[in-house]
Amino acid sequence: MKKLISPRHVPTFSAPLQNNSGATTGWFRAMPWLMILVLILIGMVGVLSLYSAAHGAWRPWASMHAMRLGLGFTLMMVVAMIPIQFIRRYAILWWVLAVLLLAVLEVIGTGKGGVQRWFSIAGFNLQPSEPAKLAVIVMLAAYFHGLYPDMLRYIRTYIPVILIIMVPFAQVLLQPDLGTSLMLLLAAAVVVFAAGIPRWMVMTVFGLVLAAIPIGWSMLYPYQKSRIMVFLNPDLDALGAGYQITQSKIALGSGGIVGKGYLQGSQSHLDFLPERQTDFIFTMIGEEFGFFGCIYVIGLYTALIFLLIRYSFAMKINFSRLLVIGVAAMISFYVTVNIAMVSGMLPVVGAPLPLISYGGTAMMTVFLGLGMVISAMLNEKDVHD
Amino acid sequence: MITRKAKQFEHTLSRRSFLLTAGQVGLTSALVGRLFYLQIMESSRYEALSNRNRFDYKMLPPSRGRIFDSQGRLLAGNAEAYALNIVPSYTKDLYQSLQVLSDLIALDDLYIAELMEKAEKQPSYLPLIIRDDLTQREVARVVVRAPELPGVSFDRIEKRIYPQGLLTGHLTGYVGRVSQDDIASGRVLPDMVNMQNGKSGVERALEDELRGLPGQERVLVNALGRPIKKSIEEPAIPGADINLTIDINLQSYATSILRRGRNKPISFSDAKVKRALAADPELASAVSEAEGFVFEDSLGRVVPPETGSVVVIDIETGALKTIVSTPTFDPNLLSRRISNAEWSKLVNHPRIPLLDRSIKGQYAPGSTFKMIVALAALEAGIINEKTQFFCPGHKDVGNARFHCWFKYGHGNVNVINALEQSCDVFFYELALKTGIKRIASMAKKFGIGLPTDILIPGEKPGLMPDKKWKEQNIGQVWTPGETVVASIGQGYVLTTPIQLAVMMARLANGKVQINPHLKQGAPDANFSEIGVSEASLAIIRRGMEAVLGGSKGTARNYQLDLEGIKMAGKTGTVQVKRITKAERDRGIVDNMDRQWKFRDHALFVGYAPMEKPKYAIAVVIEHGGSGSSSAAPVARDIMTYLFEQNL
Repeated sequence: MKKLISPRHVPTFSAPLQNNSGATTGWFRAMPWLMILVLILIGMVGVLSLYSAAHGAWRPWASMHAMRLGLGFTLMMVVAMIPIQFIRRYAILWWVLAVLLLAVLEVIGTGKGGVQRWFSIAGFNLQPSEPAKLAVIVMLAAYFHGLYPDMLRYIRTYIPVILIIMVPFAQVLLQPDLGTSLMLLLAAAVVVFAAGIPRWMVMTVFGLVLAAIPIGWSMLYPYQKSRIMVFLNPDLDALGAGYQITQSKIALGSGGIVGKGYLQGSQSHLDFLPERQTDFIFTMIGEEFGFFGCIYVIGLYTALIFLLIRYSFAMKINFSRLLVIGVAAMISFYVTVNIAMVSGMLPVVGAPLPLISYGGTAMMTVFLGLGMVISAMLNEKDVHD
Repeated sequence: MITRKAKQFEHTLSRRSFLLTAGQVGLTSALVGRLFYLQIMESSRYEALSNRNRFDYKMLPPSRGRIFDSQGRLLAGNAEAYALNIVPSYTKDLYQSLQVLSDLIALDDLYIAELMEKAEKQPSYLPLIIRDDLTQREVARVVVRAPELPGVSFDRIEKRIYPQGLLTGHLTGYVGRVSQDDIASGRVLPDMVNMQNGKSGVERALEDELRGLPGQERVLVNALGRPIKKSIEEPAIPGADINLTIDINLQSYATSILRRGRNKPISFSDAKVKRALAADPELASAVSEAEGFVFEDSLGRVVPPETGSVVVIDIETGALKTIVSTPTFDPNLLSRRISNAEWSKLVNHPRIPLLDRSIKGQYAPGSTFKMIVALAALEAGIINEKTQFFCPGHKDVGNARFHCWFKYGHGNVNVINALEQSCDVFFYELALKTGIKRIASMAKKFGIGLPTDILIPGEKPGLMPDKKWKEQNIGQVWTPGETVVASIGQGYVLTTPIQLAVMMARLANGKVQINPHLKQGAPDANFSEIGVSEASLAIIRRGMEAVLGGSKGTARNYQLDLEGIKMAGKTGTVQVKRITKAERDRGIVDNMDRQWKFRDHALFVGYAPMEKPKYAIAVVIEHGGSGSSSAAPVARDIMTYLFEQNL
């Protein structure tokens, strides 16, 4: 029983260093080059789009974005060098740190109208809810890693799970940031699902969620309710909350098959499109490059996610497998929620398009997650060796 | 067993991974499907919406056609001006902004209140027009303060100007902003709300030609509605320029002659004028200090300019050479927002300057009507050239006595003598024999009581009564006494100065029923035949020639002093107030001793040259005294000018 998934398989901390002879070539071969290529392509889309968003100028966004991408790649590579078992062992620390940050934020955070989402440190805005998402994934992966499969049957096994998920979830929800908190919940749910939670529990939770929707509705803030109502019927407020959705759909739709051309998006450049450098950047791409441009971007993200899923299949270490699935889920939800939002399938909740939207925290979170993915892959190679 | 369980678990895990993969495929497909729907299936709809976002379509007002006189001198043109607009939604506080503006460009409180009211009725994102006649200097003043005035913008527009001012007030008329009435009545299209259209005179009569066709401008706007780039989608087609048959020099001369009448100009700075103005507020409100002079009558009293009308018409074509009505107004004042002071001066003027007397002033024709009565009798064969009646100075009909203007009587007179001396009794006799029916039908052949084709709105038709008319409108039977009164152009008979001119033109040309027109090159068209014998007309003309040429002619002192050009015509003096028996016994009070409003109207109609008529003239001076002494000299001076200047 312990054979397959016990920590026994995890190499010792110094394992990669011991194996000096084939290290270089093995390390090189184990690097997910294809994924890195996809990341570079996505990053390029980001820089080009932000250049367009500034009406054809590097400032203020494109140059900064390119720099951040470079920084993010470096961060990813540094994290990749950290042995995976180290990450697993200290997962709890990260989680605690994330929860503490969120708690502190509630006291001193800055934001508009009672909404506290950011720390402003030396001119940078840190949004702790993003790394918290990753912390929950890592923490869950670490928790399930050490668990005997039999334990999955017992409800008590899930008490820590609920704690791991619900504490940061509640904190983010109360900021209030409904979108991010739901994405956190969904990514966590995917990890729990992949960990092998019994089917009846899956069904029960699903049922409970459905039952909780009316209760949840009554607990929403008025602006959140209005966002959802407006989403269901944008005409309710064509010049207010529905304005963003309406203008975004017009921009996408008028892009047609091949788009209006780079730097030619009238909706974007005449300021009809709000937040075109952050949450609505996909709309601008869709307006300027049309359906083909959209397919290209979605294709890149789908390739990234499928690559991650494929990597996860090859993972022998349960922590690594769950971590990679968690990161894949996180990226997938970012992309899906963002595109669904700008195309009017979901209410406007405020989700960035990773690596393309202007904004540091989400980008760094993605690079951090991917760094851990590479770390896991490099370790797998050692396991095989 | 453990292995089996482990294997089963491993199986579960890989199946879950597959499920997650399938989930991802599902999510991707949903997104692609949604984008396919938006960008391919619904693309054209969104493209239209996007274009509507980007472009504002603005009407380009056409340049209004100019109006010239017969010699190409400008009567109505366009000058560059600036309109000041404000978009209420861009202002912090509209009232505040208007207050700031009122310091820069005169806006009175009343107007501000009016604007505030207007702003409430229209959507706040629509521009509100504050002024549309700003000068460049005023624009500069506002521009300097622009940072304090968000939402303020300027439009370069065209302002209507009338360089001849007072001279053409009634003729050209004026323009004004299109009103709701104009739209409701279909005179203009609804999208011309911010345009101007003609409100009176030629501006109104020839609106369709002058207006032109508006164009369309496509303005690229950003999300705030600020214009980024403009392009002309469809250029405006300017309105047609129009040349009138009027000669502005003649118009000017005729105006000054009419205003003067028999009086003498006297400087405004004269102490007598000052005293008179101080004593008589009505006089003060009827004169304009800016002009520098008023008039002094034969008794040395200070009087305002004469009130009346002069119409000169080409007897062949109907082209109007001049059409004057005094007092008049400056159309420049009415084409922009007129100040309260200016407006109250206009409406409180005792002589009603806004009334165009040439087409809207209805007067009894008086003795100028006698040609019609004579012609009706001649044509009916009731009299001939030689038929005489005896005038003892009065005529009794039933138990009523009708007086001749000459109480001692004219003795035996024929038709020519009767016209020359304007013997009333002759025409009383004639009318009783001819009957009102024949007189009325003859009058209508000469345009009496019928509107002309001049097309200027508001023209009054005058009135030619007959038995039927009286029964229908008054409900009483026509009496012979009324025929007697009608025979000397009094009673119910009413004409306008333009009708009198038309009547004279038709009498002079003798063949066709010419109609007046103002636009040069208008078709002389197929005027219908008058259908009166040349022989009868010749007799009438001889009578009219005698009026100026005969030794007893009522206007014998006012023949043209020109080589080979003589005038024929007829005077008319219209009683405004019935003379009672007591007054008659005491002796009729001279016009000059009556209050202005009880004096007789002075009329004169004529044509010249006598042998080969070219122009007909009608002069009406309200309360001007007698046709002979007041109206005839005015006609003489104008006709003299006309031929001397070879117009």
